[in-house]
Amino acid sequence: MEGQTGMLTILYGASVLLMILVPVILAAGLRRISSAPWLLFGIGSGTFVLSQVVHLPLNQWLADLGLLPGTVAADVPIVQTALIAGLTAGLCEELARAGGYALLRKLRPAWMRLQDAVMLGLGHGGIESMIFGGVLTAATVSSLLPLIGADLGGFGLTPDQRTNLQAQLDSLAANPWNSAYPLLERLIAISAHVVFSLMVWKAFTGAGLRRNWFYIPLAILYHAGVDFAAVYGMQYLKDQTLLFELSFVGMLVPGYVWAAYQIRLARKSVALADPISDTAPQSSIRSELAVYRTAVGKELVQLWRTKRILVTGAVFLVFGMGSPLIAKAIPDIFKSVEGMEQFAALIPVPSAVDAMDQYLKNLSQFGFLLAVLLAMGTVAGEKEHGVAPMILSKPMPRWAFIAGKFTAQSVMYLACFVLSGAGAWYYTSILFGPLEPAAYLLVNVLLLIWMLTFVALAVLGSTLGKTTVSAGGIGIILSVILMLSGSIPRFGILFPQGLLAWAGQAAHTAAGQAASAVSTALAGQVFVNGGALASAVVLIVISLILSVGFFEQQEL
Amino acid sequence: MSLSPRRTENRTPPAAPDSPETAAIFCRGLSKQYGEVRALDGLDLAVPRGSVFGFLGRNGAGKTTTMRLLAGLAFPSAGRAWIDGMETTSANRLARSRFGYLPQSPAFYNWMTAREYLDYVGRIQEISPDARRRQIDELLELSGLKEASRRKVGGFSGGMLQRLGIAQALIGNPPVLLLDEPTSSLDPAGRYEVLEMITRISGSRTVFFSSHILNDIERVCDSLAVLHKGRLLLVSGVEALLAQYPVDAVELELDPAGGEMESGAAAAFTAALRDIPWVASVKTEGRLIRVMVKNVPDGKRGLLPLIAKLGLTVNRYEWIRPSLEDIFLQMSS
Repeated sequence: MEGQTGMLTILYGASVLLMILVPVILAAGLRRISSAPWLLFGIGSGTFVLSQVVHLPLNQWLADLGLLPGTVAADVPIVQTALIAGLTAGLCEELARAGGYALLRKLRPAWMRLQDAVMLGLGHGGIESMIFGGVLTAATVSSLLPLIGADLGGFGLTPDQRTNLQAQLDSLAANPWNSAYPLLERLIAISAHVVFSLMVWKAFTGAGLRRNWFYIPLAILYHAGVDFAAVYGMQYLKDQTLLFELSFVGMLVPGYVWAAYQIRLARKSVALADPISDTAPQSSIRSELAVYRTAVGKELVQLWRTKRILVTGAVFLVFGMGSPLIAKAIPDIFKSVEGMEQFAALIPVPSAVDAMDQYLKNLSQFGFLLAVLLAMGTVAGEKEHGVAPMILSKPMPRWAFIAGKFTAQSVMYLACFVLSGAGAWYYTSILFGPLEPAAYLLVNVLLLIWMLTFVALAVLGSTLGKTTVSAGGIGIILSVILMLSGSIPRFGILFPQGLLAWAGQAAHTAAGQAASAVSTALAGQVFVNGGALASAVVLIVISLILSVGFFEQQEL
Repeated sequence: MSLSPRRTENRTPPAAPDSPETAAIFCRGLSKQYGEVRALDGLDLAVPRGSVFGFLGRNGAGKTTTMRLLAGLAFPSAGRAWIDGMETTSANRLARSRFGYLPQSPAFYNWMTAREYLDYVGRIQEISPDARRRQIDELLELSGLKEASRRKVGGFSGGMLQRLGIAQALIGNPPVLLLDEPTSSLDPAGRYEVLEMITRISGSRTVFFSSHILNDIERVCDSLAVLHKGRLLLVSGVEALLAQYPVDAVELELDPAGGEMESGAAAAFTAALRDIPWVASVKTEGRLIRVMVKNVPDGKRGLLPLIAKLGLTVNRYEWIRPSLEDIFLQMSS
């Protein structure tokens, strides 16, 4: 059973990671063959998020009216569901896209080329793949995996609910390779978004909206049609996933053919208008990666020479060693303070659980501040000081400049967590007994990833800020928003703050007070929060893409 | 000290190229708009390969904007630019290995030594370790920073920073150097060192050198362009430009032993000159007096008798052509 769960974890983990990274890889590929700016990936992501701000409440409202399945009407005919859900998706997403193009045409007419439309489509479909694919798959699978083989009787479920849950678990365990289907579906969806993006783009180019306006309703109808077919076809091809995905592709074939024709037309016109750029050689990916490694090396040396690694390492070591010591000493501290002696008896005998709680509390309270303070000047400082123009007039890609800084900081925090982890491990073992190694490792990994989300946000703030001070301000505001996001009703658990609760569970397991999946679920908590982990990775990826996107547009 | 500095060597500028492939630097309709301000207005320029090209203009003329556009650090509102045949306004990374760039105020990582900084730049250019070591040694020697190569850059003087700036621009042996006002913030000794260095590194390499200091341009450049309020006023060989202007000025150097400066005779002489109809202007700088004349034969006939009449002791009396400064002021006014 454990072997099967491990296999499923690896395969679904890989699938989730690919759903997050493939859009970025595709965009990077597009960048290699064209000059579409990275910022358009961010703008495409923005149009998706904005469309969902309208789309989700709209669907909820329609459900409240009984037009879509929900609490008011559970048995809505599938044709009606498919039709309405398809239309709302098409309307919201294509109109948001059209709004994006209208703004672009006004503010950046140079970004109305075909490659820009493809980048916008990749951004729109990419973030959808990351959130609806990566985060939701991770959240669902991670909450189901610990229940495989568990006795579902203790959950207090109705017989129907228990049957449904069991069916889901059986389906999950039936074939590990099913993990590839969500990824395949997302890849097809991304390609669909590129086609839709090109259709809406077409409305704004050439003779312009006056003559080409019909491409917008066409895109809405095509989008709605594809979604309709997907929802409607699901009932017939429920058990034949591959066939279902292929029929999805079949619906898109006319769009692919039309898009290929548009690409051919655009390439021809560019070659005619600009034969010089068309033949200019481009740098190889190997060369860019070599420069990225150079940038990482320089950043690491800088962190060492400016003593940041030493100071941060010392702080982490103090947190690591100090946490079990404080946990052990608290009753004695109470006893030693005059007038507080009576409270000492109320405090339970400290244990490894208290040491772990203290460890988590210390690192989570100060970690984000450290991350922001150390990263706030990383880009802004070099712009302010004037070194950035010197370096960026050399063949240093701007992405390598940003990614080098994030990577070096990640390596620094990894080293710091090794120090703090070793310190806490040593003193907890001495004072309270040994910790469970795998769970303890998980605690530190989760804390590290949680902290890296703040580093990524601080790097974004540092890119946006003109000075180190303004960069710090932006970094702190973004960090506070991120922390508050954990309190959003229903969805808060899917944000990176959810990692702390998971790390808390793992810390208790490490300290020998393991909770079961069932008891955790009954307590209303998540035993393994893959959704939060995936959303942290998404946030890091998007923050870095936005950093590179904005940085590419900045004059130095 | 002379009001009319001479270049160490007379150089004939190469013929003007007519395409991005043949020019060292080629700009077509290069423009930059900052809000309401048009910092650069349709610059069309072709810099010949191998030239030392002066880019002249007053403060705010658009020189630095042009440099930043060429270096890919700013983005044009319109137009394009190429260096050594590769477009630098298209964000193509490879184009950035075709030139070395020195900004007006070069800044470095203060925690690095000069050698480390040059090594970092060499690594970015993906130069092999052996070639990198060799180039760094040569450049430290050339820039006179060999002794200071293991000192932290944070403690360098302004002149040392400029020389390190030129050295870093030369890493990778780029065919074109973009130097943005490399001497403007330096004291006379620093200026001398940097100009000497520029003279030494020119040759087969193209040096595009912006400045508002005309003496520097006249001293090291063979060609020049004059930019004024974002517009290109003129492109010419330095010698050809000077040759267009007749010899219509005379330079006098008073002998300090004569005591004219103290006695007021020099002041009386300049006052008398200003009243003469054939005198266009009079400029004094210490013991040097420069007289621009409207009518050269009248000047040649009248000036010496006036000197004799006032009993001035003169070390030097020389008819000269106008300096670039005179021409530039005339053009940009």
